[in-house]
Amino acid sequence: MSTARSERGKSTTRKNGAVRLNWRVRLRRDRTLLLMTVPAVVLLLIFNYAPLFGLVTAFQYYDPLIGVRDSEWAGLAQFQQLFHDPLFWGALKNTLWLSLVQLVLFFPVPIALALLLNTVLSERLRNFIQSVVYLPHFFSWVLTITIFQQMFGGAGVLNHFLRQNDIAPWDITTNPHTFALLVTSQAIWKEAGWGIIVFLAALAAVNTDLYEAAAVDGAGRWRRMWHITLPGLRGVIVLMLVLRLGNALTVGFEQFLIQRQAVGHEAADVLDTFSFYYGIATGNYSFGAAAGLFKSVISLLLIWGANKLAHAFGEDGLYRR
Amino acid sequence: MRTELNRRSFVTAAVSVAGAAVMTPLLAACGGGGSKHKTGANSADGVKSALPAFASSTSVKPDIPSVSGADGAVTDPGFLTYPASPVATVTGAPGKGGKYTAVTPLWGTVPPSDNSFYAAMNKALGTTIEMKPADGNNYDTIIPTMTAAKKLPDWIQLPTWWNPNFNVGELAATQFADLTPYLAGDKVNKYPNLAAIPTGAWQAGIWGDKLYGLPSFSTGFSIAGTTFYRRDLFEAKGITADQVKTLDDLMNLGKEFTDEKAGTWAFDDVWTYLFPFFDVPNKWKLVDGKLVHKYETPELLEALDWHYKLATSGYLHPDAIAGNNADANTRFYAGKTVIQGGGTGAWNLADNLSGTAATPGYRRGSFDFLTAKAGATPKLFMGSSTSMMSYLNAKLKPEQIEELLAVANYLAAPYGSAEYTMVNFGVEGTHHTRVNGVPTFNDEGKKDVQAQTYPFLATCSSVISNPGADQVTKDIAAFQAANVKYLYKPLFWNMNISMPQNIATADAGQAVEDTIKDCYHGKKKVSDVQAAISTWKSGGGDRLKQWMTDNVLSKYGTGQ
Repeated sequence: MSTARSERGKSTTRKNGAVRLNWRVRLRRDRTLLLMTVPAVVLLLIFNYAPLFGLVTAFQYYDPLIGVRDSEWAGLAQFQQLFHDPLFWGALKNTLWLSLVQLVLFFPVPIALALLLNTVLSERLRNFIQSVVYLPHFFSWVLTITIFQQMFGGAGVLNHFLRQNDIAPWDITTNPHTFALLVTSQAIWKEAGWGIIVFLAALAAVNTDLYEAAAVDGAGRWRRMWHITLPGLRGVIVLMLVLRLGNALTVGFEQFLIQRQAVGHEAADVLDTFSFYYGIATGNYSFGAAAGLFKSVISLLLIWGANKLAHAFGEDGLYRR
Repeated sequence: MRTELNRRSFVTAAVSVAGAAVMTPLLAACGGGGSKHKTGANSADGVKSALPAFASSTSVKPDIPSVSGADGAVTDPGFLTYPASPVATVTGAPGKGGKYTAVTPLWGTVPPSDNSFYAAMNKALGTTIEMKPADGNNYDTIIPTMTAAKKLPDWIQLPTWWNPNFNVGELAATQFADLTPYLAGDKVNKYPNLAAIPTGAWQAGIWGDKLYGLPSFSTGFSIAGTTFYRRDLFEAKGITADQVKTLDDLMNLGKEFTDEKAGTWAFDDVWTYLFPFFDVPNKWKLVDGKLVHKYETPELLEALDWHYKLATSGYLHPDAIAGNNADANTRFYAGKTVIQGGGTGAWNLADNLSGTAATPGYRRGSFDFLTAKAGATPKLFMGSSTSMMSYLNAKLKPEQIEELLAVANYLAAPYGSAEYTMVNFGVEGTHHTRVNGVPTFNDEGKKDVQAQTYPFLATCSSVISNPGADQVTKDIAAFQAANVKYLYKPLFWNMNISMPQNIATADAGQAVEDTIKDCYHGKKKVSDVQAAISTWKSGGGDRLKQWMTDNVLSKYGTGQ
């Protein structure tokens, strides 16, 4: 990451004055790099682009036994049904709400953690802390949620303790009203540590001379963070934000699937689980595909808008203009 | 070892849980209006000409004979002993050296593919059958990918409660071998062990008036499950199950057994097997010649009301409320719950071993059928005559089909025969030893044989047999005998109905089922379910009723 940053730094200087090279020259110069990207491109084509043709099922009464070609054409009927389904709007509302809660509560956590970790001087201690906070990322959601249930569930450690001491138990894992907070705290516990990697890399790229110079000029800890560290991170933060917005409608799947019974379908259904339960699970593939397509279109618009916004603020966004 | 048994017994429970959830007359979803597949049900004449003729086998005499009830219900025979020298019913190896693949669901740990039991079976069968057990808990999502890619194995098990998910009606017509020419009428006599499978079970394998399915574990006492209790813990308090006759009696046990401070709650989830006792139909009932869906009955609301009360009373284990069903048996074994709903498959030898390992003296019992009103006669609808059905691939040549039918005949050998011993207990000395005269698994047997694979391809009709745990066999037989008279045939019983997709979606009623689940977990009120039901009715429920009236009821009758 840090090398990528410095490369980018170099090319910025080139950006304004450089002469565009002939594509043939560039091809010869970059052929090794291009070759190296081929496997990734092929994978992308096979697993991300080819399946796009399956979207045609959203406009059909698709029957997997007779195949796409022979399935009856439905036009927009699936979408009509979708937009008249109150459960769909409920799932959309849940998705957006969870996305917002996660944006406000989850997004800043890795940044703060990275900044904190950056102030730890002992390398051994830093590596130790890093390993500890990374670890939950490698747990499956099943395990994570089981741990939460064992600790905070109705029959879990906390409530058992409360009952033993004649205090009313605290309903944490099965309360639909606070479900957004529950899933966000689970996400923070599991993923925040992993999320700091990219920010730590960006921090490593900040020129340490700047701190020294600022310190000499009498800048305190906060001023240095405000004027040096945060501007250094800004590009990455904006990039992550743009990506996050593009994924606003993807808040997770297993996490909700597993806890759906605990809080009920109205609180737990997001667009992805909606497609699963009301599309795939009842053999209604086309309906599920329609819901999926709707989600993808909105996501595309969101990421396009967020990218525009990033450009408007003079940041790189997903790519440089 | 203990965990393995735990998992296994949980899993058999899970099978039946899943079974109960869709214990409807076997409904198969079908493609949209464009599908060329015929929808509707089998015609009476068609069924008649496709059914194999029944010829009972001369099997071992049961220690606890069957008891007949009303509507053709009959209990499974119970066995307390095992023949000392099992008799062979098949001469020579049935196979002709062919190579085949078979996929079956397995609720437990998949044994290694090169295990000694498979090798012994292949030798005994005279054919190589590559067994490919797939995770039972995800089986409903594994199979559709195979069928959509038209990559089915030669022999496959499709549990009937998933018929709508697998769209079996259409699958049969396109990808399964028609067995009618081989088995219909007297032709089945070539396979005497198959001929001994009761007619009702074969009926569940008929699609579009043709016979496709080979039944396993057919039974005359077909219930999805029941409400279990810890008999040892009840007896310790001086409570006997026959004191519990009504659902109010049952609710009153909540206070008796709940001790939150000790981490003990009286109840685990009970809805699935308890709601019928409020006189809720399986799915349909006939009122003045018109179809009424169970969602339209006031009895359903009464049932929901009772369960909502249970959930909010504090007698229901918090983990059950949280939807954690996977550990239900662990809670039950540890005495953290004392009443639980479960599939009939949860009550067996493996359960007994797991339970007694957790609590010495463990004894599972089942309440008899209950009623909502004191003094009323309890009743319960029957399930279809089998919930396990296997199918052969349409690509097989006639001689290959004959070879596999001969193999099925071997697998379906009666209780106590040499073949039955081989299929269920493996080779003596290698997989089991005789302890007190009954075959008892050694470690290798537990690992490779106890994980059920071959029995999901074909078996003789169900028997109650738990070698080494006679009390379990006696308890189950007594429970069946006490309740068989209360069973009745529901509407459209054993009729394989194929539906167009939009009708099947309404039939699944996913949104209503979800809300019902939230209600019996205390998260939604009964009025919320009523609202979901009225949305369901206008969004497809009424169309479903019309379709069933026009395409099934008026054409094929009630099937009762």
